[in-house]
Parts: sequence; C-alpha cells; structure tokens
Amino acid sequence: MGLLWTGTWILVLVLYNTTIQAFPKPGGSQDKSVHNRELSAERPLNEQIAEAEADKIKKTYLPENNAGESNYSFADNLNLLKAITEKQKIEKEKQSIRSSPNDNKLNMEDVDSTKNRRLIDDYDSTKSGLDHKFQDDPDGLHQLDGTPLTAEDIVQKIATRIYEENDRGVFDKIVSKLLNLGLITESQAHTLEDEVAEVLQKLISKEANNYEEEPNKPTSRTESQAGKIPEKVIPVATIQDGFTNGENDETVSNTLTLTNGLERRTKTYSEDNFEELQYFPNFYALLKSIDSEKEAKEKETLITIMKTLIDFVKMMVKYGTISPEEGVAYLENLDEMIALQTKNKLEKNATDNKSKLLPAPSEKSHEETDSTKEEAAKMEKEYGTLKDSTKDDNSKPGGKMEEQEEKTEAYLEAIRKNIEWLKKHDKKENKEDYDLSKMRDFITQQADAYVEKGILNKEEADAIKRIYSSL
Amino acid sequence: MAGRRGRALLALCGTLVACAWLLGVEAQEPGTPAAGMRRRRRLLQEDGISFEYHRYPELREALVSVWLQCTAISRIYTVGRSFEGRELLVIELSDNPGVHEPGEPEFKYIGNMHGNEAVGRELLIFLAQYLCNEYQKGNETIVNLIHSTRIHIMPSLNPDGFEKAASQPGELKDWFVGRSNAQGIDLNRNFPDLDRIVYVNEKEGGPNNHLLKNLKKIVDQNTKLAPETKAVIHWIMDIPFVLSANLHGGDVVANYPYDETRSGSAHEYSSCPDDVIFQSLARAYSSFNPAMSDPNRPPCRKNDDDSSFVDGTTNGGAWYSVPGGMQDFNYLSSNCFEITVELSCEKFPPEETLKSFWEDNKNALISYLEQIHRGVKGFVRDLQGNPIANATISVEGIDHDITSAKDGDYWRLLVPGNYKLTASAPGYLAITKKVAVPYSPAVGVDFELESFSERKEEEKEELMEWWKMMSETLNF
Repeated sequence: MGLLWTGTWILVLVLYNTTIQAFPKPGGSQDKSVHNRELSAERPLNEQIAEAEADKIKKTYLPENNAGESNYSFADNLNLLKAITEKQKIEKEKQSIRSSPNDNKLNMEDVDSTKNRRLIDDYDSTKSGLDHKFQDDPDGLHQLDGTPLTAEDIVQKIATRIYEENDRGVFDKIVSKLLNLGLITESQAHTLEDEVAEVLQKLISKEANNYEEEPNKPTSRTESQAGKIPEKVIPVATIQDGFTNGENDETVSNTLTLTNGLERRTKTYSEDNFEELQYFPNFYALLKSIDSEKEAKEKETLITIMKTLIDFVKMMVKYGTISPEEGVAYLENLDEMIALQTKNKLEKNATDNKSKLLPAPSEKSHEETDSTKEEAAKMEKEYGTLKDSTKDDNSKPGGKMEEQEEKTEAYLEAIRKNIEWLKKHDKKENKEDYDLSKMRDFITQQADAYVEKGILNKEEADAIKRIYSSL
Repeated sequence: MAGRRGRALLALCGTLVACAWLLGVEAQEPGTPAAGMRRRRRLLQEDGISFEYHRYPELREALVSVWLQCTAISRIYTVGRSFEGRELLVIELSDNPGVHEPGEPEFKYIGNMHGNEAVGRELLIFLAQYLCNEYQKGNETIVNLIHSTRIHIMPSLNPDGFEKAASQPGELKDWFVGRSNAQGIDLNRNFPDLDRIVYVNEKEGGPNNHLLKNLKKIVDQNTKLAPETKAVIHWIMDIPFVLSANLHGGDVVANYPYDETRSGSAHEYSSCPDDVIFQSLARAYSSFNPAMSDPNRPPCRKNDDDSSFVDGTTNGGAWYSVPGGMQDFNYLSSNCFEITVELSCEKFPPEETLKSFWEDNKNALISYLEQIHRGVKGFVRDLQGNPIANATISVEGIDHDITSAKDGDYWRLLVPGNYKLTASAPGYLAITKKVAVPYSPAVGVDFELESFSERKEEEKEELMEWWKMMSETLNF
C-alpha cells in the first residue's frame, strides 16, 4: 500500500512537473527583486492594457516576435507579452488540442467512456469558459457590460488565468517584462503580485470547498482536481515573504484536502469496484473468479492496480504523451494479456477463440502488435512489481522480473508462430488435424533434456511447458 | 531547464510503464531507461531478428526462440563448455534434426572464435532466425537447403572472450582484449599443427589425409589444448562434416588453405591439393558480399598489405602464415573443407552497423551453404549392399583423399571437369569410375566393392567349374 501512495505521489508530481514546464528557477531570484518594488494604487492605462492583452493569448498565435525585444514601441510590447506567454502556452495548447478533438472520435467507450468524457469536459470547459469571457472583448479592456476594467478586474483576470492555466510562470513573465520596460515600478509589481496571490488563494479555497462538498463525484473529477491542487499549492507557497501565516495555513489545508482527495480516490476504487471495469471483460472475469476470502486482499490490490493503470493511461493521453487511440489500443491489449495470463495461471484449456485472438492481431501491422503487446507485458510486470512490494513478500528485483517477462513474451511469440506453421503445414499435406498433445509431450521431453544439458534453465523450461499446456 | 527535467521525469515514468510504447513518440528523452530494456528489442525488426549484440544469456535465448519457432526443423545442443563454464551452443537445422540421414551432407558455421571479433557471432544468430523464418514462409531455396543438408551453426566458440570484449566501456573496443579464451590462449593457434606433418609427407611420402593419429594422446591428454579446442576437435571427429566456414573480423576477405607457409616464411602462397575448389568456394562467398568483392575497396588500414587478395579471396599463406589454425586442421584431420571469412575491418563495430553487415552477408552465407551440393557424392557398399565405412575415395590428380562415413556415404567437392574416382577399402578390391562433374548439383556415384575373400571364393568356384569341364571332356 505504501508503494501505491508513493506511486500516486510520483504521478502527481509528474503532472506537476509537466505542466509547470516554464517554472523558472532564476524566477526565484527575480521574485526577490520584484518584491522590493511597490505598486501604487492607481496604475497608468498602458499597464492595464498591457496586462489585459497579455492575458488573452489566443491559440493560433505564434511566437514570431521574439526579435522585437529591442523595440520599445507600445504595440511591440503588447506583441512581446503575447509572444512570451504564448511560448509557454503553446505546449499546453498542443496537448489540449491533441486530446480534445480526438477524444470524442474514438471508441473511448470501450475503455472507460463516461470517465474520459468527464475528463475532457473538465479540461475543455475551463478553456471554453475563458474563451467566453473574452469573446466579445477582443482587447480585454472592457467588462461584458462595456464598462472599462478596473485594476481589481485586471488582478482578478490574471489570477483566474493563472489558476486555469496552472502556470504561475505566466505572471512572472508579464511582470518581469513590464519591469524591464519600465511600465511599472518594483513596488507596483510587488503589490500586484500580492493582489494576484490573494485572488488566487480565494479561487483555490473556493474550488477546494466545492471539491469537499462533492464526495460522490467520479474519480476522474477527483483526479483532475488532485492534479491541479498541488500545482496551486506550490506556486502559491513560493510567493514568499508577503504571505501571512493565514495563507500558509491555507496551503497546509490545501495539502490536507489533497490528501483527503487521494484517500477518497482509493476508497472509491473499492467502493465502485466494477463500474469502470465492465469495460475489461477478462479482468472482470478474473475478479469474479477470485472469490475465496484469502484472496480478497489480492482481489483488492488487483482492482487498485487496474484503476491506477487506467488513470495513468488517461493522464498520459491528457498530457499528450500518447494519443487516445494508442491509449485505447494499449488498454485493450492489456485486457487480452490478462486473459492469457489468467489462463496460464488457472490452467484452464483455452477455447479456440482465445487462441485465435492471439494470431488475429498479427493481421494488423506487426510492429503495432508487438509494441502494444510489449506495453501490456511491461505494464503487467510493472504492476506486478508494485503488487509484490505491497504484499511485502517478494524479494525479486523489478529489473529481473522485467527481463523474465520479456523473455517469456519472446518465447510465446515463437511458439505461436510454430503452432501456426504446423497447422498450416499439416493442412497442406492433408494430414490429420494437428495433434497438440503429441507436440506438448515432445516439447516437454525436449525442454527437460535441454535443462539437463544446460541449454535451458529450469524457469524457462517451466514457462515453455506452461505455455504449451495452456494452448 | 525545468521543462526538460519535467519531461524526462515523465519519460522515466513512461519508461517504467511502457518503454517501447511508441517508436514515434518524441517525448521520450534518452534519460535513464532501464538498461535491460534498452539492450533488448529496441531494434526489433523483421520477424524477430533483433539487430543488436547478444551477450551470452541473450545468445541462448535467441537460439531457444528459434528452436521454439521451428521445433520441426531445429535442435539445440552443446559441444562442451568454455573455460569459464559457458556452453558452446550449436543450433542444428535440418528436416530431421538430431539424425544423420544417409547421404545428407553436414555443414557447419563457427563464429567468434576470437572473442572480440563480434560480427560473425551476430550474423550467425541472425542467420539461424532467418533460416527459420524463411523456411516457414516457404522460401524454396531455404526449404530445399534444409531438406537436403544438415546445417550446424555455432555462433560463438569463445563466449568467454566475447564477454570480456563486450564489457569494455566505450564505443571503441580494443584490438586484443577478448581475443583469446579465458586462459589467454589464442584458439586459432591452438590446434595440433598438421600442416607441418603434411609438408613432411609431401616430401617423404605418407598419407595426405586424416593425419590426426591417436586422438586420445594428442587431444584428451594434452594439457596445452584449451577446452574449447578440445570440444571442437571431438565435434569434428564425431560428425562427418563436408563443408565449413570460420568467421572472423579485422579485415574483409575469404581465406583458404593452407594457412601455414611451407618454407616457414611470413608470406608465401601455400596451395593445398584442392586449391582449385577452394578458390571456387571462397569466391562463392566473396562474390555475394559487395564489400568483399569490390576491387576498388581500399585496405582496412592504410599500411595493410592486401596484395594477395584476388576477387575478395586469398590463400592463407600468401596473406600471412598461421600455424595451428582451425581451418587447416579441418582439412588435414577430416573430410571437412573449411575456409576462414574475415567480415569486417573493425573487429567489434558499433551495434548500429550490425543490420548493414547482415544485409551485406546474408546472400553470401546462403550461397556458401549451397556449395555443399557440388562435385560427386554417393555410397560405398559391399556386394551384399552393406555400407563400407571408412572407405577411401581418391581422385586422380588431386593428392588428397576423403573417406566414407558410417553409412558408407561420401561427398567429394570438385569443380566442373572430368575425373576418375577410385573407391577402396582394406580387404576389398578397388574400383575406379569415370565421372563428368558439372557446376552443380552433385553427381551421384555409388561403389559396390568386392572383398578379397569373396574374390577368392569366386576364383575357387571358377576353378572348380573349369575342373569339372575338363574332367567331363576328358572323361575323368
């Protein structure tokens, strides 16, 4: 269980790391200098305009204006700011673009339709919300009812933007540029930061409250919140000296909220066991078959692992590391892999359908099959490792298990080709239908002979015998 | 930059979960993928041939995979153990693995006898997988080859040396580290020097074949022989090999006997009685390897003397004198004709080049395999049809005889021409036959030998017949 925690934290941290791509290390020292400046109450219109412009960066903008850094005209500054924030946004835009149009296309239903759709909605709805805000207000200088933006509105806008974009760096860049260009003084920047931070905090606590009020929300919602919250916590924490203790406490409470969220997440797993897993028929069957009490723990762990797996895949899709098709294909193959392993383990005789399923994927591109099968194998063994550590009874290093799995995978592939060829060959020569049991005996005999001679080691021979006996 | 760090972390997680997920995903930085996974299957392409270096465990697994895929036509066995205890693995491919079918010639490929000459080792692993794949695809050439030949492939005769060479850090492997076996013995100088004996016999008379007398004393009780050498000698004595090749690295040429110069000088063309067929055999390899047969190929190193190279082939002694080598040992102790093939200027080239080495040598390896079906072959039997083992088959004009195997079967490689073949055996009357030999396939010539006692019986009978006739005529 402890490792699962760690694993989840790692996932969370990973999310944090990917999204805060532009989290500037030198930004830390920059912040220090900014804090020495003061922000007066009334700021010149240019600044307001500049900040508002910087806020509403559109997706299609390209960072073409880097060269204009030496130019000091107002229009160029605006473009500059756009360009700077654009750079940071481009990557995330890409990810969201990639995932959003494709998500709806595919058979996500097969995997986890309801959950994934919600994920998309979450992601997309915030974006669309933002778009709506600026739709009738191209230069961001006016409210929807036409009144000009006040300083507070601008601060609110910035804070919202940072919150929704999960990128504190946005703010840093804007402020540093403004300072460099002399549009604001240091003190002004400092005050601005404080104000933005306050608004941000409010936003976060509001969200957190919403989050706590909805314990029954599905795990995808939880996960997206959990994903966002630590990012808020950490950037907020680094807006250092100006913070009161109260704010620090809020940080702590946010962490607690996060913890609760995670706990809740794992709890939901065991609660709504089979809801998500209905899309994995083989896994479902496996779970059903583990009925005895002593294996209940194993069952739970299996479920947890499976869920974490699915979530991880979703995250990867969300962040664009893989495309949704790949995620689906992967999960589908995982299910097949589970089926195979189940059969091996329980030593049932597979139906013809099952054995045909294996050759069937080879009709697709070989490369695709191999890679997805390998993914499945690797996922299996990765979580096999996790599972073992949670049980605390396995001393095998993870690396060795990986290699074993890979090897078995290769042997499996070779055996499959052999059987295929033998069947085809016998048909051609009009022999009787291929005698599997004879083959099995022959292989068993040979495997043992090879072990004696040192050509095979015992585990390999057993694996081979097992594979043959399961066909 | 934080961005790259973050992405590397994600890549690491991704790697933990599914490292080989998508070959096209650019998000995967070469951060720190698990070494085991990186070593394997990263370059998996083309029907299970992974173009990467195989250490001993991977070598074993690769051969096991071939066996598992082609159980009907393959068998793995070991001829012995290296000094450090690694099995000297051989994979055999034939339509009836494990069995010598009478009349079916035996072929062997041996690689990596110098542990740091790595290309041969890998090529033989690829070859085994390739033969299995092609057989299953119904490739006629390969199917016929496997049905008509018994192919033995030993990817590495010096696995200990390879491990030493492969463990060297960095891209550039040393010219010497890993060459010899674990005891520091250069295996290709370790075989009993039969060249010396045959040179003496040439001058003073004596046998021209099977010069290894007293196997027990010279081999088994000889402390100077490495375990690998001993294992190979026993292997050669056990199986009636007909044709063989020994794969090396450090240059690009096909080398044929004799390796040791007659006069003892450093370079001297030292032809063996079968010089003509050996040239043909060497060419059969080199002509299919573009680099080897390229007349304009510059020498591997600037000051190399490749003046003896002709069409990618060279006589051993003409290139440089090698005493105690495996190639000549084969020719002089058994019926097996062996050449030495140098595959690469670099002894242990970068892994990325393995695929192109395979492409360059694939056809040459198959072509050389097919050479086994040349010349004359057949059976030597007695008048009752029983096989006569160890009968001598000599060819007029070639001072090198071969012998028949246990089932009386023999194979005599010859270039096209007209020959007189004589089969003889102790206690039997020799028979000579005329044969016209094409390039390929081998011509079948069988001999039925009459033993002396049978002839005596016959003569006695003839005598009795004559006496009867005489007595009848003269009314005895």
